Amino acid sequence: MTDPILSVEQVTKQFVKDGKSTEVLGQISFTVGRGEFVALVGPSGCGKTTLLRIIAGLVAASSGAVRVNGRVVSGPGPDRAMVFQQDSLFPWRTVLQNVRFGLEVRGVGRRQADALCLGLLERVGLGGFGSYYPHEVSGGMRQRVNLARALAVDPEILLMDEPFAALDAQTRELMQMELLRIWSDARKTVIFVTHQIDEACYLADRVLVMASRPGRIVEDIPIDIPRPRPLQVKRTGEFGRYVDHIWGLLEKEVRRAALTVPSEG
Amino acid sequence: MAETAVKARGRRPGRARLPGILPRGRGWRVLLSVLAVAGIWEVSTRTVFTNPLIIVPLSRVAERTAALAASGTLWRDIYTSLAEFALGFAIAAVVGITVGALMAVSDAVHDFLTVWVSALYATPTVAVAPIFIIWFGIGWESKIAVAALLAVFPIIINTEAGIRACDRHWLEVARSFQATGFQTFRMVLVPASLPFIIAGLRLAVGRALVGVVVAEFFGARSGLGLLILSSSQVFDTAALFMAVIILAGFGALMVSLLSTLERKLAPWRAHSHD
Ligand SMILES: Nc1ncnc2c1ncn2[C@@H]1O[C@H](COP(=O)(O)OP(=O)(O)OP(=O)(O)O)[C@@H](O)[C@H]1O
Ligand SMILES: [Mg+2]
Repeated sequence: MTDPILSVEQVTKQFVKDGKSTEVLGQISFTVGRGEFVALVGPSGCGKTTLLRIIAGLVAASSGAVRVNGRVVSGPGPDRAMVFQQDSLFPWRTVLQNVRFGLEVRGVGRRQADALCLGLLERVGLGGFGSYYPHEVSGGMRQRVNLARALAVDPEILLMDEPFAALDAQTRELMQMELLRIWSDARKTVIFVTHQIDEACYLADRVLVMASRPGRIVEDIPIDIPRPRPLQVKRTGEFGRYVDHIWGLLEKEVRRAALTVPSEG
Repeated sequence: MAETAVKARGRRPGRARLPGILPRGRGWRVLLSVLAVAGIWEVSTRTVFTNPLIIVPLSRVAERTAALAASGTLWRDIYTSLAEFALGFAIAAVVGITVGALMAVSDAVHDFLTVWVSALYATPTVAVAPIFIIWFGIGWESKIAVAALLAVFPIIINTEAGIRACDRHWLEVARSFQATGFQTFRMVLVPASLPFIIAGLRLAVGRALVGVVVAEFFGARSGLGLLILSSSQVFDTAALFMAVIILAGFGALMVSLLSTLERKLAPWRAHSHD
């Protein structure tokens, strides 16, 4: 890999609850190249969100380190921005004000920030919706605002936690295409968590497949499908083979987990 | 995009309303309701309930109001009560919001105060009015103290609830954008809890008014409470009803002002009032 922007080095995470420690992430290591689109798939509860939050600097790893551009991450930073899993827009801010939030925090002047954010809204297909409140727009539009809010601070790495999970199938496909368009325009590095295997294969350069208890990466699969990828790619045999392969991995994992469920108190 | 339907949905919340009351086109129902009750009052007191010691026609109340207004004492009574209300309410707002915020951000403060706040909110604190008259005298200080004491608890409780209800995710978003503590307070905690605080203030209006009036019952030189008391002692039913109507009208006005304020400050909640 040329020029890694992000490296995750033997990261582990334990949560202590009621005096009992559970290992959520066991030794996770991988690197991501600049401009790469990496998808993270795995069964529910395997620690995808936790891993993403560690990379974001929102929680600390129990051991190991995350480096961005060679520097160890010790908290949130301007080089990373998170697109949250659930609807995390501020309901008291209009669409434009939501997108502007990160710039306000940085003290960017109102006029300059607005100009930038209006441009971004155009780019995510929300031109003209700046003065609407989140409750006045659809779920798909809200997720675009969420994305625009992260893009506004111009991070090098976008951390996306199941951003399209709540959308219907058609809107989701639309959003996937738009995300690819924005990603190739803006040349960001993306870490994209998803439950949907086909979404992962369609979007990503690489899919990291995780297993649970403790969370770890079982396979790192490069998706060698040329870009740009029209939606019809999803109907090709090559695409199907990637999906099947990952399905197989996850199924094995789920079955193993089901068989080894210990009688937890 | 296929999602422009929302745009065409028409009326934007927060606009096209009578200030603080209802969306445009619905105010006539309020007016009709008021006129109907006034009409029933007038007619029934002229035909069925004709004992002037119990109730008098609205027109009599109006005549009596005009007479008292002309004599000048009415204005002094209104001024006294409203000034006492305003000061008591303002003190309650400042203290209530501060204490509520402290209780929300500090578990220690919460633990020390919560038992008192809930106990005092639930008890009819107005019973302290006679004691406050003894402590603070029959001037305006005692009325302000009673009003503030009554009004402060719903404000404390709502402020604390509002800040505590602030979604953890919003705080996390602020953190992920590296907002400082003060930025998080100003840009997340305050706006998130504002609707709760305003709801607390709305509840406090009625309690502060009760505080003023009841405290005046126990001793005052002027005020609507005193007017009610003295009118009832001389069986001046018309003056008594007048004072009650003035208080009711003022309370309604305050509440609708606060609703307007809520729409201004918290337009994202406006749709929930439809
Ligand atoms: N703050 C916390 N305290 C204790 N346990 C936690 C905490 N956060 C997460 N966990 C546990 O860590 C495990 C992984 O959670 P995480 O949210 O990372 O999973 P996930 O892979 O994102 O799941 P999903 O796909 O359902 O979103 C879960 O078992 C969860 O209960
Ligand atoms: Mg998750």
